[in-house]
Amino acid sequence: MTLKKNNQNLYKKNNKLPFKERFRKNAIVYLFLFPILIHFAIFQVFPFLFSFVLTFMDWKIIGNHEWVGLKHWMHFFQDKLAWKALWNTFMFSVYYIIPTMALGLILALIINSGVRFAGFFKGIFFLPVVTSFVIIAGLWGWLFRGTESGLINWIIAFFGIDPQLFLADSSQALLVLAGLSIFKVAGSTMIYYFAGLQSIPKELYEAAKIDGASKSKIFWKITFPLLKPIHFYVAIITTIGSFQIFDSAYLLTGGGPNYATTTIVFYLYQQGFTNLNLSYAAVLSYALFFIILIVSLIQRKYIGKDTAIY
Amino acid sequence: MKKIINYLLLFLLAFCFLLPFLIMVLGSLKEIEYALLDPFFWIPDNPSLNNYLYIFRDGVFMRWIFNSVVITVIPVFSQMFLCAILGYIFAKKQFPGRETIFWVFMAVIMIPQQLLIIPKYIMFAQFEWINTYWALIVPELWGIMGVFLVRQFLQGIPNDFEEAAYIDGANDVQIFFKIILPLSLPVVATVGTFSFISNWNDLFQPLIFMTQEKMYPVTVGLASLLGKEGNFGIEMAGSALSFIPTFLIFLFFQRYFTEGIQMSGLK
Repeated sequence: MTLKKNNQNLYKKNNKLPFKERFRKNAIVYLFLFPILIHFAIFQVFPFLFSFVLTFMDWKIIGNHEWVGLKHWMHFFQDKLAWKALWNTFMFSVYYIIPTMALGLILALIINSGVRFAGFFKGIFFLPVVTSFVIIAGLWGWLFRGTESGLINWIIAFFGIDPQLFLADSSQALLVLAGLSIFKVAGSTMIYYFAGLQSIPKELYEAAKIDGASKSKIFWKITFPLLKPIHFYVAIITTIGSFQIFDSAYLLTGGGPNYATTTIVFYLYQQGFTNLNLSYAAVLSYALFFIILIVSLIQRKYIGKDTAIY
Repeated sequence: MKKIINYLLLFLLAFCFLLPFLIMVLGSLKEIEYALLDPFFWIPDNPSLNNYLYIFRDGVFMRWIFNSVVITVIPVFSQMFLCAILGYIFAKKQFPGRETIFWVFMAVIMIPQQLLIIPKYIMFAQFEWINTYWALIVPELWGIMGVFLVRQFLQGIPNDFEEAAYIDGANDVQIFFKIILPLSLPVVATVGTFSFISNWNDLFQPLIFMTQEKMYPVTVGLASLLGKEGNFGIEMAGSALSFIPTFLIFLFFQRYFTEGIQMSGLK
């Protein structure tokens, strides 16, 4: 509060200064902020608004545009495939969110347990995060080949499991894609948890040890609850990320088999850029936006307070 | 005993995480046209660099890499510079509407990329930007996330240096270059690495804005090779080549990357 008042006083003081003096102090604002705001308006604000207008039109690449009112929105509510895409996306989130958090936490716990070369191993687990989806999906496709000669099929044969079809099986394809995303993202979840673990005061552990608490009790009674803000934050960002899943479906399955991996963004891409039905794609993108907005608002509401202790 | 289990788990996990990369590197050294009916077909009997030579001779693959370099390097440097200036403006400058503008920025950051791409496609078709570098460079010249990171960083730095410089008669452009920019180098490096990774690895935008094969960046190019039979060795060599820049950035700037992730998250 006092800071804000100081700022205001400063601003008033600045205003009283002669123009030349004010320019000397604020030239950079005039020189850079205005062009950036124009850029912001053209590439972010305008497309956002234009996209909404687009949902009420029939936009054709060539030819005249027509106003069609709520036609595309009505179609969306009756489009079985759109709802299947939303359902697939939701199921993807179910397969993906908790395992990513758990694996990230496990990696962070191991790294934080005082092993040697912790930095080196941290790097290894982080490597998939910086690698492009195209590279990882390509490799993932080879690992999960649906024949007896696929490496994963070869490994599960040791456990007496018959070869699986994986990406060619409509009940497994989405799981395999979720596995790919877990592998790719767990390294960044690990970073959040690692930071969280390091901020837990050491005295708490020492006190618990003196009281004779077991390792698992220490974890469930001290470590896990104290990571609550991290759990919450990581849950939010992985949720938002999972709704935007596109790359792996595009690269590995093309939405199939039998639409089993048609996620909302993949469906949007198909409608917009394969069928050139841009207006309907805009409706789908707004559906995506509303879902993400709700998740983000939940984040704003809770996270602001919870992270204050850090 | 506990220690040994820890290490076993660590090595097992590290092996699992490295296995795909191992397949990529070994597979790229194997001259093979068709994937054989053997789970370990990717292990080369007599390693050769022929796949790489093929790629170097093949004009279009080198063109893809060149395209990727163009649409990555320009935004990276531009983002580092502009995000530093804007972060400084929003952290230290007083002007009407500052809080409102920043609030709007933070609201707009929630809009998913996939929503903006449809109107942007229509706009760029009007600008005749489809199949040009402009479509992937101009919108990426600065980024809200980068501004946020630099602002966050500079808010933690006292104003003393700046005020001393004003008293000495410096104007604020000089102050930015002489004082603020050198001070904020670590966070500017973070902005750079973020921007590099996101542009170099981006698939969705170039897939839509680049429809001619010679304009593909390496991600879209590799995607077009993916899964085609008879390409295994080449595909792996191409993946490995496109991975080298990422790997080098990761090797030298990993610290900035992980710090950036923490800063963006826990504040």
